Amino acid sequence: MSFWRLVTQSLWFYRRTNLAVLLAVMVAIAVLTGALVVGDSVQYTLRRTVEARLGQTEYAVIPQDRFFRAALADDLQKQLDRMVAPVLQVTGIITNADGSTRVNRVDVLGVDERFYRLGPGASVPAPNGDETVTLGAPVADRLAVSVGDEIVLRVEKPGLMPRDVPLASDADRTAAFRLKVQALADDEAFGRFDLKANQAAPLNVFVPLAWLGEMVEHPGQANILLAAAGEEEASVDQVNAALQRCWRLADAGLELRPLARPDVLELRSGRIFIDQTLADAALKVDADATGILTYFVNQIALGDKVTPYSMVAAINPNGTSLIPRNMSADQIVINQWLADDLGAKVGDSLELTYYLVGLKRNLVERTDSFTVAGIVPLSGAAIDPNLTPDFPGLANVDNCRDWEAGIPIDLDKIRTKDETYWDDYRGTPKAFITLEAGQALWGNRFGNLTAVRCPWREGLTERITTRLTGDIDPATVGLFFQPVRQRGLAAGREGTDFGQLFLGLSMFLIASALILTGLLFVFGVESRSEQVGTLLAVGLPSKRVGRILLAEGGLVALAGTIVGVAAGLVYTRLMVYGLSTLWRRAVAGTQIDFFAKPVTLSIGGLLGLLASLFAIWITLRKKVKRPARELLGGDLEARYSRKAAWSRGRWGLAVGIVSIAGAVALVAFMGGGSGQDVAGVFFGAGSLLLIGALALCQALLRIVGGGWNKPLVSLSGLGLRNSTRRSGRSLAIIGLLACGVFLVVSVQIFRQGPVSDPERRDSGTGGFAFYGELSVAVLHDLNTEKGRVALGLNSSDLDGASAVQLRVRAGDDASCLNLNRAQQPRLLGVETKELSRRGAFTFVKTTKSENEQGWNLLKADLGQGVVPAVGDKNTLEWALGKNIGDELEYKDEAGRAFSLRIVGMIASSILQGSLVIDEAHFVARFPSEAGYSAFLVDAPGAETQEVGRTLTSGLRDFGLVLTPAAQRLAAFSAVENTYLSIFTVLGGLGLILGCIGLGLIVLRNMLERRGELAMLRAVGFSRQRLGIMVFYEHWGLVLSGLICGVVAAAIAVIPAVQSPGGQIPYFSLLLTVVAIGVSGGFWVWIAAALALRGELLDALRNE
Amino acid sequence: MVELVDVTKDYGQADQPVGVHVLKGISLKIEPGQSVVIVGPSGCGKSTLLNIIGALDHPTSGRVLFDGRDLAGLNDRELARIRNREIGFVFQLHHLLPQCTVLENVLIPTLAGVDNSSPKAAHERAEQLLERVGLADRMVHRPGELSGGQRQRVAVARALINRPKLLLADEPTGSLDEEASNDVAELLVGLNRDEGVTLIVVTHSQKLAQRIGHVMELRGGTLNDGAQA
Repeated sequence: MSFWRLVTQSLWFYRRTNLAVLLAVMVAIAVLTGALVVGDSVQYTLRRTVEARLGQTEYAVIPQDRFFRAALADDLQKQLDRMVAPVLQVTGIITNADGSTRVNRVDVLGVDERFYRLGPGASVPAPNGDETVTLGAPVADRLAVSVGDEIVLRVEKPGLMPRDVPLASDADRTAAFRLKVQALADDEAFGRFDLKANQAAPLNVFVPLAWLGEMVEHPGQANILLAAAGEEEASVDQVNAALQRCWRLADAGLELRPLARPDVLELRSGRIFIDQTLADAALKVDADATGILTYFVNQIALGDKVTPYSMVAAINPNGTSLIPRNMSADQIVINQWLADDLGAKVGDSLELTYYLVGLKRNLVERTDSFTVAGIVPLSGAAIDPNLTPDFPGLANVDNCRDWEAGIPIDLDKIRTKDETYWDDYRGTPKAFITLEAGQALWGNRFGNLTAVRCPWREGLTERITTRLTGDIDPATVGLFFQPVRQRGLAAGREGTDFGQLFLGLSMFLIASALILTGLLFVFGVESRSEQVGTLLAVGLPSKRVGRILLAEGGLVALAGTIVGVAAGLVYTRLMVYGLSTLWRRAVAGTQIDFFAKPVTLSIGGLLGLLASLFAIWITLRKKVKRPARELLGGDLEARYSRKAAWSRGRWGLAVGIVSIAGAVALVAFMGGGSGQDVAGVFFGAGSLLLIGALALCQALLRIVGGGWNKPLVSLSGLGLRNSTRRSGRSLAIIGLLACGVFLVVSVQIFRQGPVSDPERRDSGTGGFAFYGELSVAVLHDLNTEKGRVALGLNSSDLDGASAVQLRVRAGDDASCLNLNRAQQPRLLGVETKELSRRGAFTFVKTTKSENEQGWNLLKADLGQGVVPAVGDKNTLEWALGKNIGDELEYKDEAGRAFSLRIVGMIASSILQGSLVIDEAHFVARFPSEAGYSAFLVDAPGAETQEVGRTLTSGLRDFGLVLTPAAQRLAAFSAVENTYLSIFTVLGGLGLILGCIGLGLIVLRNMLERRGELAMLRAVGFSRQRLGIMVFYEHWGLVLSGLICGVVAAAIAVIPAVQSPGGQIPYFSLLLTVVAIGVSGGFWVWIAAALALRGELLDALRNE
Repeated sequence: MVELVDVTKDYGQADQPVGVHVLKGISLKIEPGQSVVIVGPSGCGKSTLLNIIGALDHPTSGRVLFDGRDLAGLNDRELARIRNREIGFVFQLHHLLPQCTVLENVLIPTLAGVDNSSPKAAHERAEQLLERVGLADRMVHRPGELSGGQRQRVAVARALINRPKLLLADEPTGSLDEEASNDVAELLVGLNRDEGVTLIVVTHSQKLAQRIGHVMELRGGTLNDGAQA
């Protein structure tokens, strides 16, 4: 007989007990490895998604509402020696052939074969014909169309100049096409292409690049560049340096052209106003360079004489002979034609009336007075139609009556002589003011020059071109590559860590399984007490006996580990299946792929094995320390000593108090952190509270068991006393149930019910009735009759309704629908006073100690390069991991870095997923982002449906998606609630383990005390009375577990639910707790009934 | 007080077509205050007979009359009440609850819920009994802190808490050393003598049998009076 022979023989002999231990170990390890592998699978899916949406793309120029030459890609490809593909992306709306199904906000991508070469698949699909389209699979699914079907595609026609530019036409800028579906693009065919870090499949529509360019009036242009990873590694700086070498003025929308009369070289912009940076650089290129700003005025008046609709040029007195060098800002030079028309002479005061375009295209008519400083003949340099930029709708029409400027023009005011002037002199300005005066009046965020002119010299064109493209960073016009792959991978890596999440919540389940492991093992050892006593009696040292049992337990644990790892894979598959079906909302519908890393399985198995061995060792160590005499004499000699009980009880008290104090401190001092911190506090405080509560229970059991001086007076007292007999088992019951209850109750508290009063301003809806998103931004004010009319809305149908319009800067979705860590969240620009006036939403935290400033914090001056921002609690804490005072780095339209500093956090709301900044900051950073792509709608209660219908039908061509605010909020809550459903399942599993443990312990207690129970029967206890005693004994423990779990959960979740938006579902919580209590009682009753059935008195007879 | 009329007890055995006849038509009448010892070889059915007398077991046939009442006509609750109020049991293994004090162990039968007398009176009675069995100084001790003989004396006190008319003792000294056995025997004899408790003892111990007096022998399923102890 050797050590191992004894161990293996015992293993086989006690196989039933060992099998039970093995199963418990298996559960612990399956849950542990399963949680880790779920994390692996989600990570793998996100990595795969990056591959699918970027293909081989390493760097990308992200669209900035600016356009450059598609040929720039060819130049770059030569420079970089890697594939570079141009893409033209516009927003669109797509419907099926009969218009019955519509998909808004689709990304229409003009691509060529270079794009497909960058895709994740090896093959390049056949190029599209001009009248055909390739649909991304999600679009085809939503439209229910397939290859060969027809669709109608409406796309936005982006102008060269931003649509907010003064005088830009606000005429319909969309075009619709009926196209045939040539192919459907799956992931392999790059159908998932998306530059945003989001795992949700984008709504992509692919058309030929050249065709789309023609259709949207940007022939040969693109607004996205994709650069592949080359054979040689290149940093983003190197790629951008190559871009700097390749770019041309045309890529910034600039044109350098020689003019014959006057003999100058002129720089002008397709965007009308030349970007400030470019203009500054251009003026520095040549000492004689001079700037020009020409504007369209409504009228020039002298007394009651009026000349309508004229161009006025603001020019530098030093660069022209048209105006005197010493002309002041309040003086004007007019041409002879105007002087004749008005009968004006030098010294007269003229009034210039013009429109300024404010936010939401609100036109402000202003009038300024100028004194006539001179009159120039309409000849020579004074006849210069090139001074007027090519205002769309103005420049290229034959007659004044055909003007379609972005301002109201009263055609009745246009006289024949005005038409004649237009015919003869086109846009030749009728008046001139100083550049300084002109810029003060008409300068805007898009620029304050419409042209820069230099006197013509040989070689000047090349010199200026070289200087401009060399000196100017193309990033200032939005031309810069960003490391999209690196960002995408980081977004996936830093995103929602499902492994950690599952592991965190599984910890309590794992703890339950380990308690069960220890219990089952110790039951086995206890049933072999006499054998252990014999081994000790025949002289084996207690350590050796301990090693024999530990080796036996270790082998069982090892076998349990192997089976557990395999079961963990099955468990993961079930979880992944759940995430793909029942719980798909938790992952925003993403198809999660099963993926297990061997190292993860090894870690899970090893950790589980160690934990199981620890559980076995901790329960074993006391057993082998008992004297052989006691072990051989049965287990009736439980040693009770009041002194020892108090002493051990004091330890429990101390541990309990310290743990609970630690938990309370954790909640009090660290509960206000970010989402990850709050989660950490929840798990940390929860664990400490459970440990503390169990320690207190242990102390109580010891004190009651050892220090009870008053005699028993009731059956319940006897039950309580009985529960102190095996304090370890009693603690196990309490611990098992507390873990399960903690999970289930926490989840219940976290669960969000529907918004009880969505009309309240402080609710998550902000009191708004609808949240609208548009495919094509609206430029006008939805709150004014003029704006509504311009948008084709019937104003009377919107009586009582109002809207808060939001500018949108596209970015990563930072809502709970995105599993990735949003790198650059979407920005919303809002007119602060609109939200402030309404008192919309509830601020949970702000940078100020008082919350009185609310939305006005967005107007705070935080210094150069810092913009205040407000975010939704979920967005900040979970999606971004940010807190008040934290900053996010952004780049503005001109590539300049700036920081968003979080100054306020609002409770869970419909603004989830974006950060909100003040509109003024927004337009300063992103001047080209025209119009409003989202809005919040207030509607009087009775008219809500009517308002919804009016907006939906009126803004149909803008691709409006109008969602009731409560519904939008509920959709976000549904994601959270789906997570909570998963955790409820984990809690439920914990409770099942708790119930198994409870049943086993009750049975075990009863079976080993059958003699005692028989004695009680003998002395007159009825079976019912015994049942009641057993019930009291164990249900008290169930109740204790319930109380420990509920109290621990209630304290641990405080940081998470302390926001005003949080509503604790007290009723369902109460129901849950009662149900668990009743269920515990039921299991006790079942176990007691099983144990008490049969002839108990046989136990006496068998003596 | 107790009368057995032609009582038989058979135990069926799975591997044998015919059961084991443990008791074969035993008739016995015990008067109040009498003390009887039943002796016999191991497995002869002594404990079975005691359990039938104590309403812990049912005879296969025959009648058991307790104070003139046929136990066969009583339901489980009524039998429990008789065991609690009329009969006291002392077992070979004392079955004390280790988590309870000595005093509490004595009080256990009062918790059976068949008596509404005041807990205070029961408490006083328990203290008196413990004094009577010589354990007045051990009342708040736990069983684990007592010797085997002391534990058995606690068991005796527990059996007497409800002032039973009949005390049944099944091998009360079976697991005790000689000195402790003598103490327990003295206690039982004293109780019978001083308090008039009817005493039926089942034992192997000849010494115990001699001290108690009236010895009956159970052998071959029949009970013979006047056996030599």
